[in-house]
Amino acid sequence: MSFRKPNVLPGFGLTFGFTIFFLSAIVLLPLAALVLAAASMHWSEFVAMVSSPRALGSYRLSFGASALAASINAVFGFVIAWTLVRYEFPGRRLIDALIDMPFALPTAVSGIALTTVFAQHGWIGRYLEPLGIKVAYTWLGVTLALTLISMPFAVRAMQPALLEVQHDLEEAAETLGAGRFYAFRRIILPTVLPALLTGFTLAFARAVGEYGSVIFIAGNLPMKTEITPLLIVIHLEQFDYRGAAALGVVMLLMSFVVLLAINLLQAWNRRRHARAAH
Amino acid sequence: MSITLDQVTKHYGGVPVVNDVSLDIGDGEFFVLLGPSGSGKSTLLRAIAGLTGVDYGRISLHGRDVTEVAARKRGVGLVFQNYALFRHMTVADNIEFALRVRHMRASHRRERRRELLRLVALEGMDDRLPAQLSGGQQQRVAVARALAHKPEVLLLDEPFGALDAKIREELRRTIREVQRELGITTVLVTHDQEEAFAMADRLGIMNLGRLLEAGVPHELYSRPATRFVATFLGAANLFLARNGAEGIHVGAATIASHEHSPQPREHEVVAVVRPEEVVVAATPAELGSRFVAQGVVDEMVFAGALERLRLRLEDGSAAPLLATADAAATPYLEVTRTQPEQRAFELHPGQSVAIGVRRVHVLPTPLSSFTACAASSAAAETLARQPLLAELAARMKTRIGIRPEPQLGASAAGPEESAPFVGATVISCEPQAAQRAEWLLRHGANEVLVLPAQATVPQRVLIHWMDEAVRPATLAVSESVLRHVPAEAEYVGTLSREVAQELARRLSEAPGQMLIVGVSDLARFAERFSPLLDGGRWPVLVVHRAPS
Repeated sequence: MSFRKPNVLPGFGLTFGFTIFFLSAIVLLPLAALVLAAASMHWSEFVAMVSSPRALGSYRLSFGASALAASINAVFGFVIAWTLVRYEFPGRRLIDALIDMPFALPTAVSGIALTTVFAQHGWIGRYLEPLGIKVAYTWLGVTLALTLISMPFAVRAMQPALLEVQHDLEEAAETLGAGRFYAFRRIILPTVLPALLTGFTLAFARAVGEYGSVIFIAGNLPMKTEITPLLIVIHLEQFDYRGAAALGVVMLLMSFVVLLAINLLQAWNRRRHARAAH
Repeated sequence: MSITLDQVTKHYGGVPVVNDVSLDIGDGEFFVLLGPSGSGKSTLLRAIAGLTGVDYGRISLHGRDVTEVAARKRGVGLVFQNYALFRHMTVADNIEFALRVRHMRASHRRERRRELLRLVALEGMDDRLPAQLSGGQQQRVAVARALAHKPEVLLLDEPFGALDAKIREELRRTIREVQRELGITTVLVTHDQEEAFAMADRLGIMNLGRLLEAGVPHELYSRPATRFVATFLGAANLFLARNGAEGIHVGAATIASHEHSPQPREHEVVAVVRPEEVVVAATPAELGSRFVAQGVVDEMVFAGALERLRLRLEDGSAAPLLATADAAATPYLEVTRTQPEQRAFELHPGQSVAIGVRRVHVLPTPLSSFTACAASSAAAETLARQPLLAELAARMKTRIGIRPEPQLGASAAGPEESAPFVGATVISCEPQAAQRAEWLLRHGANEVLVLPAQATVPQRVLIHWMDEAVRPATLAVSESVLRHVPAEAEYVGTLSREVAQELARRLSEAPGQMLIVGVSDLARFAERFSPLLDGGRWPVLVVHRAPS
């Protein structure tokens, strides 16, 4: 006779079964199909496909612009989250709701909106043009679109962590003689670092997979402003399913490596504190 | 002096949360700020620490004016209620934080940390994280951290609030020992009266942003100056008593008190009787001159060494007892008896007993009670329900008497019965208010409060006295009023010959104002004060003392 711990939800066996089933059916199976489709290619064919100059250019843009967008969001998302958590001002709830807009908007709409504003004759674009700054149809536009759509992920990941940083921690640091910058660096930043990394990760993952908003503002010049997801779609339109699958596998691998690296960093950070305890 | 506060005032949203606090705390003194929540004690502590700016007044630490100095340069150590430890840092890093900020060498830091951990009895805990410590241990770390940079002043903001009773006791002792060993001037904020008594060298009691009284615990307990302190520090029964030639009359008892100063004319006072100063006996004869009134045992509670009784007075008017708990409709007399007393005279609920008092303390408050006075008793009762009067009486824990005076305001006639006017007499703001006030003052009322029907609790109290002779009395009454309302006080000086008009003009400048005015000369009073009192829209309290 086994002792069962009373719990609101059904026991371990059932929940674990569900976990495995869902992960398999919804995540692992399609991914396996993708790898399988790519595996039907010959190895040399595969290598030639994924290392063509056009593909390499698209990786650079996709991952570079995504990393840049996630970095921008880590910094400014932190500022936005800080403002929303710490200050009470008229319209705070409105701004809080606005943060989620990119979640809900069809990404194509975001793309069209951005293009309207930043195109050569757009509202802002026309003032940037004389300064020699071109946004639409350049890598800058791609970064801008990725920043926009991944912003809520960064903000929402950091908000709860910032709620945890109570005001008295800063006040304690202050009475102990620390200046603002010192207190920020030694107290606030270390406390929110895990959330900051999570925010970065989510924003990055979202940006890498983004398609809809980018294609409108990118201009899609091969080697210059063509992102990998677009390249995949181009292959699909030419009924080159295997080529598309090969590129997909590369994206999958690279994303997995990046996410794994960040997760390991998080784990290491946690262990560092745990180790200090012994 | 280690800490000197001079008229420190801080407002939030127009309300003074710290109101005109002046205080000196000596070197090495353990000072406790005690008050109910919202009394402004934490805000005052934060102002000393430099985390909250002040709107007015000066703060000095060891003779250095730090009013404009940032918290990090004040040299104070602050301990928070919820510890505020840096959770990602070890105990060692937490304690060394202030030393790192100051770029102290690692070997010196380590030495200082060991010393501090020994002081708070946490040796060997250096490498723990805060999350791995109990609440009591975390607060010890917080104390050690606050002391690391050798601050001149240690400030503790409800440091035991989140701890259970036993841990609290231990930590109290540790903090007291640390404080003695280091000789550091310490201010502790608490709402717990027992804690305050256990720790304080000296005690300051705050309510509504004001520091009401400061002194050694024993003095404050046995000789409080205010109703609030009397009832907040331990239990107290408040009687309306009469101060006469032979002593203090409480009900039937006459108690010679060393505080008693023979008065030319008997007047009403508020007398404090602690529960342990009440005696009960089977018959009044056993109590002799200490007999106050007959009572009935209403409730008995066994409380270990002591027995707690609640007695109801059989005839409430014989010895007027003021309700100390705000909600209590019928005031009860609280009594505690020791074991020998219980054995000598056993009691059971419902028993009728004779009540006596051993010792009374007379509060120096000039406002003992209110009496609503009007031509008819119906009008007087309506007046007694006026919002400001009801609010003041509730806050002052006193009662409102009813007194119909058919002759009120008639030029020659005196009161029908010759009972003296006691406490503050209240009349309504009507066209002949000035004439009525004069009549009352001439017939022995010392304080007359003239109230408009709609007046509410004032935000600002203007104070003026017509001549120097009445200044002390005016100030005493003003203090008494201001202790019970969160208002600002302002002395009004005027060179105008038409003082009443000038005062009326000042009162009409802003809503929510009240005037306290002292007079000694009643000649042509009604005529002079007509612009101020007749049909005015503001409450006016007239304080009269005949020139001696």
